[in-house]
Amino acid sequence: MPDGQVYVVDHVVTQPGRGREFVDRYLAEYAPGARERGMTLRDILVSPPVWFTDQSNTVIIRWSLPSAQAWWEMTWKARPDASLGVWWTAISSLVLERSRRVAAAAADVDGLCDV
Amino acid sequence: MFNVTRLIHLAPGAGPDALLAELRAAAHLSGATRALVEPTLPGVRNGGDILLHLRFTGSAAWTAAAPQFAAMLDNPSVVHVDGAEYSGEMNRFETERQPGTVYRTLLLRVADDTADAVAERFEADLRLLPRYVHTISAWQLSRVEKAIGASAWTHVFEQDFSDLDGLMGPYLMHPIHWAYVDRWFDFECPEAIVRDRVCHSFCRIEDIA
Repeated sequence: MPDGQVYVVDHVVTQPGRGREFVDRYLAEYAPGARERGMTLRDILVSPPVWFTDQSNTVIIRWSLPSAQAWWEMTWKARPDASLGVWWTAISSLVLERSRRVAAAAADVDGLCDV
Repeated sequence: MFNVTRLIHLAPGAGPDALLAELRAAAHLSGATRALVEPTLPGVRNGGDILLHLRFTGSAAWTAAAPQFAAMLDNPSVVHVDGAEYSGEMNRFETERQPGTVYRTLLLRVADDTADAVAERFEADLRLLPRYVHTISAWQLSRVEKAIGASAWTHVFEQDFSDLDGLMGPYLMHPIHWAYVDRWFDFECPEAIVRDRVCHSFCRIEDIA
């Protein structure tokens, strides 16, 4: 089994003036379930670090999982959960654009690929 | 090649042996150049109990054989069938990979509202998997010409794996899968275009053609 932490990174550009509301709702409504699925919240970064009232904020949320196996176990719990899709749809009114990327430390890449 | 796949779901308690024997006899005489009729292996998801996979040099042989197979599947022990008919050739790694002993097929449906350019990017990403997963000895990605079953399947992605460990280990665990290609299937990612449940089925390779 390959070693190496796995990171899930949500990159969100909020609708103008909705940055704080997005972060509050993400923490209150999304984060508890994500923790139950095995993810550890590492940090939430806000750029620029100003709660704009009329411009977008960029919010970068970084989760970690202990391994690729843990990533699969997380997603196997998430996929049958229809409420998650409902949540992402509901939050879309606060989001201008977003992406989710899965990453690892550079030092772990070779080990993760050696399967 | 013209390809036919059927994932046959049996009624609870129904044994596969009688139907396997019938299907194998018909497959052997069907004119197929490759014929797999095998019980699925533990771990399939929505993959049925029997996997039937036939490859013909053209569609005419299947057109002739299809009524016989349809009659066999019109059987009280069969509760559901997912399937696809499609064209294309397997891509083979002839020298540097172990020969396949496990055949795997994935039936999926790309959402109707997907732009052509996006579907092409999705297909290009799927084609990356065999390059990085060294337990794949042959593979084919095909657009479906005729679909049956739970969804209007749009694609079949199939592989020959060195063995079961090669499917359950490297294929799942390589980052090209979970950190890159899977975003097309993950509704938490905005790129997701495969929203229906997929059929993930596999069996041992015992070619009876």
